[in-house]
Amino acid sequence: MKRSAPLALALAFACLNPFSAFAANPEKPECVAPAKPGGGFDLTCRIIQTGFLEAKTLDAPMQVTFMPGGIGAVAYNLFNTTRTDDPNAVVAFSSGSLLNVATGKYGEWTEKDARWVAMAGTDYGAVIVKADSPYTDLKGVMEALKADPTSVVIGAGGSVGSQDWMKAALLMKAAGADPKKMRYVAFDGGGESIAALLGGNIGLYTGDIAEMSAHLDAGTMRVLAVMHSERLGEPFDKVPTAKEQGYDVQWPIIRGYYMGKKVSDEAYNAWVELFKKSYENDAFNQIVKDKGLFKLNIAGKEMEEYIHNDVAKLRTLAVEMGLIEAPK
Amino acid sequence: MDVILSGLGQGFAVALQPFNLFLVLAGCFFGTLIGALPGIGPINGVAILLPIAYSLGFPPESALILLAGIYYGAEYGGRISSILLNVPGDAGAVMTTLDGSPMAKRGEAGRALSLSGVASFVGGSVAIVLLTLFAPALAAFAVKFSPADYVALMVFAFTSLASLVGKNGIKTLLAAAIGLMIASIGVDANTGVMRFTLGSPELMAGIDFLVIVIGLFGMAELLHLVESYARGTLKTLPVDSTFVSWADIFAVKWVMLRSSIIGFIVGVLPGTGASVASAVSYGTEKRLAGESGKSFGTGDIRGLAAPESANNASASGAMVPMLTLGIPGSGTTAILLGALLLFNITPGPMLFQQKPDIAWGLIASMYIGNVALLVINLPLVGLFARLLTIPQQYLTPMIAVLAFIGVYSVVGDPFDLYLAVGLGVLGWVLRKLEFSLAPVILGVVLGNLFEDNLRRALSISGGDWSILLQSSNSLILYGLAILVVALPIVISRMLKARQNKAV
Amino acid sequence: MADRIFAAITLLIVVAYGWAAFMIIKAPFQYDPLGPESWPRILSVLAGLCCLWIIFKPDVDKIDITHNVLVRLVIMVVLLLGYAYLFEHAGFILSTTGFCIGAAYLLGAKPVHALIFGAATGIIGYVLGAKLLALNLPAGLFKSLF
Repeated sequence: MKRSAPLALALAFACLNPFSAFAANPEKPECVAPAKPGGGFDLTCRIIQTGFLEAKTLDAPMQVTFMPGGIGAVAYNLFNTTRTDDPNAVVAFSSGSLLNVATGKYGEWTEKDARWVAMAGTDYGAVIVKADSPYTDLKGVMEALKADPTSVVIGAGGSVGSQDWMKAALLMKAAGADPKKMRYVAFDGGGESIAALLGGNIGLYTGDIAEMSAHLDAGTMRVLAVMHSERLGEPFDKVPTAKEQGYDVQWPIIRGYYMGKKVSDEAYNAWVELFKKSYENDAFNQIVKDKGLFKLNIAGKEMEEYIHNDVAKLRTLAVEMGLIEAPK
Repeated sequence: MDVILSGLGQGFAVALQPFNLFLVLAGCFFGTLIGALPGIGPINGVAILLPIAYSLGFPPESALILLAGIYYGAEYGGRISSILLNVPGDAGAVMTTLDGSPMAKRGEAGRALSLSGVASFVGGSVAIVLLTLFAPALAAFAVKFSPADYVALMVFAFTSLASLVGKNGIKTLLAAAIGLMIASIGVDANTGVMRFTLGSPELMAGIDFLVIVIGLFGMAELLHLVESYARGTLKTLPVDSTFVSWADIFAVKWVMLRSSIIGFIVGVLPGTGASVASAVSYGTEKRLAGESGKSFGTGDIRGLAAPESANNASASGAMVPMLTLGIPGSGTTAILLGALLLFNITPGPMLFQQKPDIAWGLIASMYIGNVALLVINLPLVGLFARLLTIPQQYLTPMIAVLAFIGVYSVVGDPFDLYLAVGLGVLGWVLRKLEFSLAPVILGVVLGNLFEDNLRRALSISGGDWSILLQSSNSLILYGLAILVVALPIVISRMLKARQNKAV
Repeated sequence: MADRIFAAITLLIVVAYGWAAFMIIKAPFQYDPLGPESWPRILSVLAGLCCLWIIFKPDVDKIDITHNVLVRLVIMVVLLLGYAYLFEHAGFILSTTGFCIGAAYLLGAKPVHALIFGAATGIIGYVLGAKLLALNLPAGLFKSLF
């Protein structure tokens, strides 16, 4: 019975929406998670799998398939070689995928080789220390890093050049220290990093804010700053931004979907409309929130522009950090 | 203690509700079947059923109980194809093939299956009791375990496995090196640099462990069967109705207990799971067996009981950091964690205070599930053992089909199928040349853990190697490593000296 | 001899591996003193020495394989490779049916039995795997039917 209210609302929207009569939904919708089951890409796909169902924007059940390999490279490759015009499938991606595109880890394929459909939502970088850490605000830790870049051991869930590392490197830059001089430890994912932080093996963890929701009440860790321009809503409203503490470090971790580059405008637009319709649905937004993401409703043309800008920015950043040579 | 008892009481009240009880049993049953398929393990089982449980609108504790049932069931079922077909059912069941398969080949499939069922039960039970009593303390221990300590743990694992040396020590070393080299393929976890990927995106994430296992064991076994057929030595085994005896169980009681404890502790540590747990316990038991350990690998019941107790114990151990800290210790617990979040339950230190019915209900369901698995599995032994009476010309192709399903369901990329076939040929050649395959697999399992943690430790210390000897955990593990190597030598010297005196 | 041939081939691969480890692999920068190249270097030296040892002191002289056995093994490997090739192209049902017929026949089943067994494994396998367990098995040519 609980579900009837959003359901009625969804129906109302479906009737009101002028596009619903025109846009033909994909017949056999599929979301490709370019990883093994259980990770962030799986989650990204589950958002539209359950979200579209609960929002009643899509009747056909969506299939989620897995395509691990090369942090999304295998999927990016496949959608650029054989499934370039598949009208039924969208592939999940994240900021990490974009960084790989920017640094050339996806081989010859660039951001121009995919049609970017829509966002699922976003997360933001966070600067986290253990509860008994001597650092109580961002300023303290930044000044310590400035004085001696090796004074705090920083850990996160990705290798050098990953987006987890990028957060740490940006922090170093903002502190006025050389990112190459820091002590950085790469763990296998956020779980191991948190364990290392709690065990005192690292002093600072550059993680994501959403994963902290489980730990906020426990009082075992302290979030020094969120890497966003403004404060987030409940339950993160007490977490100060890096900007308000005098360090303008911003790092959104976006999650979204792309399709092959030769997909017809018709099929592409159908998906875009599907997203736009769902963005206005409470049940869909609730699912985005439940999965630990913040609202970021961008789809269609806007989305393509956003991604192209973002990748260009990341490319400049990667050159600055010494990850890749400047493109000729 | 009172808190634990009242919590458990509350938990059993939840878990014994008829509907939840039914879910535990159903989960265990399907989990066993899923686990019995080679290559399809607990991760797939839980991942497949999570959305179904969610969409059926079960209350959170029921859904979680169902998924946990599948998790243990799959861990139980992994041994079945290891024993019957010499194809590991999942990553944690590799060591089970070493002694389980020879037992089945000499007509004791029923004994092997039932004994391993009992060993799994003991492993699971010991681990759950430890979990109930010491979870918070263990969680604190797990997070304190530093990269330097993992290095020490790997050194300990390697030394206890040195007991796996076959006839030719150099060949064992080369086999391990091949495994380590295979493990080094892919993106380097520290610097993100590609290693040995030959520009192929399929190799960027490395070769999946399951593909290696199914290739080296399953495919190689297949070729071995074809070879035996061509020689005319391939026979379909008669129905065997052997069953584990009380004497068997009694003979391995200490093996099971030790392995359970080792498995549980390894499972508690984030980053190491059933495959490391079973390997370490197998190596340790073989060392401890001394002279009589020579029969390990030829169908010794101790060599079967040790890894089976350990891998089930580690499955429960992995629950500790997930429930108490919200940190998943393995791929499967990561999915269970995802399931909790899906139901708006945040695991971690507050779980036992905020949602005691769920936390304790889950723990109680582990007790029930473990008993249920034993009850479900023992009568099925005869049925599973009958698999071997399928004529070989049909059983052999079916192994290939199962292996292909398993490999393909990992990644969904036909590239892995070729890889598995290639590894099968390699495995067959290695067997022909009297290399043992276990060191290859162990090289794959332990290689990356060793290298990554060594480099993490050195990153933390800024290049100072003394960090490796700074914690008491490391020192204890190095001490144990020396003990494991030295003890059998000392004991055999003493025995000889005594004999000489007697003469 | 068999040992020597195997060790020599392995040595070639190890040399190529070592060459990559010593000459190619390098990080733009790193935070640990070992970097991505040290561990593979150690492994290549270790494996190389093992291979050399086996070349000088082999212990398995000959693998006892008759022509007949070898032919059947090669046929099996070809069948497996064909199965791998057709797995996605033709879909699970057809490729499995074909492989099972071939493999069962190779192992001495009567043609009719092999045919029945192959078709049954393909169809039942697909229903169990793809429908009941929801594994992503390629439907291939039967996509429209399911």
